[in-house]
Amino acid sequence: MSEIQSSVGGQLSVRDAGQISLVDLLDRLLGTGVVLAGDVLISLAGVDLVQIRLHALITTVRADMPVPRNLQGGGTDG
Amino acid sequence: MPESQPEHGRYLFAFARGLDPARLVGVLGLRGAPLEVVEHRDLQAVVCSVDLEEFGEDRLKEHLEDMEWLEEVARTHHDVVYAVSEVGAVAPTRLVTICSDDASVRGRVETLHTQLSEALSRVEGRREWSVKVYATRPAPPETVDAGRPASGAAYLQRKREQAAQRRSTGDQHLREADEIHQTLTRSVVATRVLQPQDPRLTGRADTMILNGAYLVPTEETDGFRAVVSRLAELNPTLEIELNGPWPPYSFATLD
Repeated sequence: MSEIQSSVGGQLSVRDAGQISLVDLLDRLLGTGVVLAGDVLISLAGVDLVQIRLHALITTVRADMPVPRNLQGGGTDG
Repeated sequence: MPESQPEHGRYLFAFARGLDPARLVGVLGLRGAPLEVVEHRDLQAVVCSVDLEEFGEDRLKEHLEDMEWLEEVARTHHDVVYAVSEVGAVAPTRLVTICSDDASVRGRVETLHTQLSEALSRVEGRREWSVKVYATRPAPPETVDAGRPASGAAYLQRKREQAAQRRSTGDQHLREADEIHQTLTRSVVATRVLQPQDPRLTGRADTMILNGAYLVPTEETDGFRAVVSRLAELNPTLEIELNGPWPPYSFATLD
C-alpha cells in the first residue's frame, strides 16, 4: 500500500499512510480520470464538481478541529 | 419513457491493458457486486453492475451531497483502481461513469481506442506520487513598539510594514514552491500541479504552497525519494510531504 513521508526540520520521516485521504482522493476522482461522453448513461461530466467537492468535504471537517485563524473572517490585508 | 428505463447499468472503474482477470478475484465492486472485465480488441474495461435505483440520475445529485455515500463509492472506486494498477496498465475513469450495457462499454473503447492506448502507454510501469509543501506559519511581525502607536501616522506606518511583510512572505513561498516543483520536474516523466488544498480540508493551519502530482517510473522510485529527501534538507523551514505510490490518476487522461 502507499506510504507517507513528511519532513520536520529538514528530515523526511516515514509514517503510517493508512488509507489515502478523502481530500486527495476526490481531488483525483472528481478532478481527473477518463471522462466519457456520448453513449453513456450517467456521468458527472456536466456536474459542478468543484462545488460538490467543497460542499461534501467541508461538512466532514471534524467538529473538534480549530478553524485556522486566517479563515475566521476579517484579519487579512486587503 | 419510464418503461424503457433499464434497471441495471455497468459502472466503469477503469480501462486497462494486459490485465489477467484471474488476478482480480476477491476484489469486489460497488455494493459487493463482482468485478467483471469487458474485453474489446487489445483493451479491457473493468466494470460491475449497479442498481439504477441508486445510481440513476434522479438520486445521484442527492447522493453526491451525502458524504457517507460519496466516501464509500470513492473508496470502493479507488480500491478497484488500485488493485487493477497492481496487475496491469490502468486508466481510471472519472467517479460515477455508467454505461447501459457491455455493448455500450465496447462502443466507448472502440471510439476512444487510439486515445486510450496512448494514455495507457504513457502510464504503463509508472506510478503517481503526491508531493505537498506546507509553509509553517510566519512569525507575527516584529513590533518593537508594541504598545499604542504614538500617532495616527505611526499606526499607518506599522500597518503598511505588516502588509508588506505578509506580501513578501507570500512571494517567498511562491518562489520556494516553484523551485521545489522545478527540481522535482527534472527527475520525473510528467507532472501536474493541483490546486493547493483549503486549510479547512487539510485540517491544518499551515498554508499549502504546492500540491503536485508526479509520474515516476517504478524502477526510479528510490531516486525520486532521494530527491524529495534532499529538498527537505535544503528547506528546513518548510514541511514536505511525500505520499504514494498511487495509480496514475492525474496522468491517464485523454487528450
